[in-house]
Amino acid sequence: MRAWQFQKVPFVFPALILFFGAGCMIPIAYGQGVTLNVRQQVVLTRWALRHIQQRHWPDSPAQGAGKFAVGITEESLREMINEAVANGRPRENTHGRPGEIYEYDFGRPIGTTINGSPASRLRVVISTRGQVVTAFPF
Amino acid sequence: MRMDFRLSEDWDEDFADMATVEETDLRYYVAQGDVVLGTDQTDLSADWGWIPLVDFALALREIADALSESEGSETFEFTESEATLQFDRVGDKVVITSSYRPGEVTVPFSDFRKQVDEFARRLDKELLQRHPELGLNPDYQRLKLSRSH
Repeated sequence: MRAWQFQKVPFVFPALILFFGAGCMIPIAYGQGVTLNVRQQVVLTRWALRHIQQRHWPDSPAQGAGKFAVGITEESLREMINEAVANGRPRENTHGRPGEIYEYDFGRPIGTTINGSPASRLRVVISTRGQVVTAFPF
Repeated sequence: MRMDFRLSEDWDEDFADMATVEETDLRYYVAQGDVVLGTDQTDLSADWGWIPLVDFALALREIADALSESEGSETFEFTESEATLQFDRVGDKVVITSSYRPGEVTVPFSDFRKQVDEFARRLDKELLQRHPELGLNPDYQRLKLSRSH
């Protein structure tokens, strides 16, 4: 009996989280038809990850582009993007570009701007399909 | 004023089928290069090699459209940095400044409008020469780079 009760816990607990957590998920729509859920993680495709690494990784030779701080990993990038999208200020993309822009200030250096100054903010561009287009410190 | 572009050589290696590239790709990843912008006295060029030139052409056309109606200011945001170009309509002139280089360029609005349209037309022509399959791409066609003003 005791064993059964302990085995039940791993099932019941996640189920409760899903049940009550679902009530906290509030769909939010921002311009151009994109509907993001504040609790939903946006999609970072392999393509977009490679693009960000080529432009914005600490060892990227690309000029005129914000750079992440040394130590950035794919996992920490995903975490920062999700935090920026969940808590950042959204706005429509500019001059007819599809999608939305999310900007979030982490309150600590996360990289450098194009002139080498410390950058604490992250700009994330999300496509109309909810996929990350690019993300960089500024 | 000079407004021109230099296409980078290696951006198209990642796009196997230019006939199906979607608008977001066209505005962020395709046709990357440098933007040449300035006068003999002032250089506001963005020679970083990664500027998405289709996007630049379309955005500047939208800026020119907005400034054609009344005095005001428009800001172009580069896609991969906080860098900006500022366009201020003052009377019949446009004053262009940047966040990344000193100086300003002042040009009659009619010349600015003409240069913006020429930029888009030249880019369209060069891209279609390099990749004729773009002519079959519905998203690229819808953007109408070579529209007549």
